Amino acid sequence: MNNLILEVNDVAVAFGGIKAVNGATMSVEVGSVTSVIGPNGAGKTTLFNLISGATKPDSGTILFQGFEIQKLLPHKIAGRGIVRTFQGAKVIKRLSVLENLMLGAQNNPGDNLINFFNPRARNAFEKQARDHAMALLKQVGIERFANDYAGILSGGQRKLLDLARALMAEPVMLLLDEPFAGVNPTLVEKLLEVLHALRTEHHLTFLLVEHDLETVMNISDRVVVMAEGQVIADGLPNSIYENQAVVDAYLGTRKLK
Amino acid sequence: MTAILQPGFWVFILTMSGIYGIFTLGLQVQYGVGGILNFGHVGMMALSSYTMAILVIAHGFNFWIAAASGVAVAALGGAFLGLTTLRLRGDYFSIVSIAFSEIVRYVIFNSDGLTGGAQGSLAIMPIGDAYPSYTDTWDTILYWIRDHLTPIFGEIADRDMAMGILVWITLGILLFIVSRVERTSWARVLRATREDDDVPSALGKNVFRFRLQAVIIGSIIGGIAGIYWALQVTLLSPDDFLTIVTFYAWMILILSGATKVKGLAIAAIFFGFLYGGTRFFTFWPFSFFDSSQRSYMRIMIIGIVLIVLMIRRPQGIFGKREEMVLE
Ligand SMILES: Nc1ncnc2c1ncn2[C@@H]1O[C@H](COP(=O)(O)OP(=O)(O)OP(=O)(O)O)[C@@H](O)[C@H]1O
Ligand SMILES: [Mg+2]
Repeated sequence: MNNLILEVNDVAVAFGGIKAVNGATMSVEVGSVTSVIGPNGAGKTTLFNLISGATKPDSGTILFQGFEIQKLLPHKIAGRGIVRTFQGAKVIKRLSVLENLMLGAQNNPGDNLINFFNPRARNAFEKQARDHAMALLKQVGIERFANDYAGILSGGQRKLLDLARALMAEPVMLLLDEPFAGVNPTLVEKLLEVLHALRTEHHLTFLLVEHDLETVMNISDRVVVMAEGQVIADGLPNSIYENQAVVDAYLGTRKLK
Repeated sequence: MTAILQPGFWVFILTMSGIYGIFTLGLQVQYGVGGILNFGHVGMMALSSYTMAILVIAHGFNFWIAAASGVAVAALGGAFLGLTTLRLRGDYFSIVSIAFSEIVRYVIFNSDGLTGGAQGSLAIMPIGDAYPSYTDTWDTILYWIRDHLTPIFGEIADRDMAMGILVWITLGILLFIVSRVERTSWARVLRATREDDDVPSALGKNVFRFRLQAVIIGSIIGGIAGIYWALQVTLLSPDDFLTIVTFYAWMILILSGATKVKGLAIAAIFFGFLYGGTRFFTFWPFSFFDSSQRSYMRIMIIGIVLIVLMIRRPQGIFGKREEMVLE
């Protein structure tokens, strides 16, 4: 089973009395699109926080490319190639949109104070990164705001910025927490195309949380269903509908058209 | 009222403004860029100035080596403060920083054998039977400059004027360097951490490292201010390093608009004149008060000016309003 890029083994974390994730086990195959679905409060975002290192598990292990990462700090995990977006999108409001993206650039010599004395290397990198950032902004359609403070962006535009910034960080695996919620349908189509291209050209692996079932069914190779902190089902998209536990916990009587 | 007419007084004000300007620049890096609230900045000034004085007076060190050591000790002080508290929430750093500078002052006050204690640097035991002075090397430079100023300024040219010039050259150089540093991607990451830790961390930035570096750089600049302070006052006393000094720097920083360095020099001069100039508020209605009461009133007046400024111009004289108010 060495085509698994991520393995989450019996991971649990509680906040006070709330067992947000309670013994969750799941895995993600290299190059796949895996979606996590489940009711509000099921622990999906918490699972993302555990994988990205923002939250430390009380127990269990998380392996990325075979290495245990559950004890690593978030920036180390990001350095290994797991990059995430945030539910509701987080932008640095008092940096420009372009500067937000530039934050994503990896191994920027200018981040190291020693290179203050090496302006040539810094400037060359900045220039290249800026071109890349502008191209990404164009891809998600917010390039006209490049030099505005990110704080002026609308909710949907912030999501686009969050996504573009994550892409800027050259991820191996992208964790997207409700990337399409609040984004208009035509743009969702466009983003799906962008993600598809990334997948085929750069062999990116995707793990996403999404409530829109139609989108989930269309783009996912696998679907993981969470409820009350546990993984209650894990399988091919269509198999989910035949799972009674899933129907009870999440789907209800709805049917895909 | 005669002092107000003497150029020497204004030279003094400008020199002190310059030293305060250097001192405040350290805070600017920490707060203006990194959003780090340091209320113990004066501790770095105390560490560098006393280290320098002790090394020169009691151990006969070369002045330059002593001054560099002083700045290095201030940097270590910043590193210690940062390493112990920066991993905690921001407010912990602020609280501990005040305690830090007060502890430094307290230790200086009570270590008679090492620091001269309450009597100040005059009571440091000199090597041999020399006079306990640490300014000899510097004075040579000052007098050399003065001798070159005399043909231009006549008898106004003195040690103080030479000092003022060196202080302002130093401030100018530091302002230039810091404004350059603040254009690097290092500063961009630090600006991001001012708002949020999760985003930079998720993008691979070690937020703690950036903050620690900001605190150390600010402490080095504060340490440089300490050396100039020591050279200006010529003998040190623990009372030079009361917490109020940190708050004076905060006033300057708020006046100038914390997020940009460009207003800092002017804000420092403004503060200097406010601070020094209020000394001459001896006319009615201030004539009802004696001089010690007036010195408290001076702090009140400075406070009122600040409050008015913050209401009218929250971004400071030169700051960008959006950068202060965007939510
Ligand atoms: N930092 C925290 N402190 C306390 N409780 C938390 C914390 N984070 C999450 N929780 C709780 O853990 C549970 C799971 O939350 P989580 O955000 O993971 O749900 P979710 O599946 O992402 O839901 P949604 O679909 O609404 O986004 C909730 O009951 C939530 O209140
Ligand atoms: Mg969620």
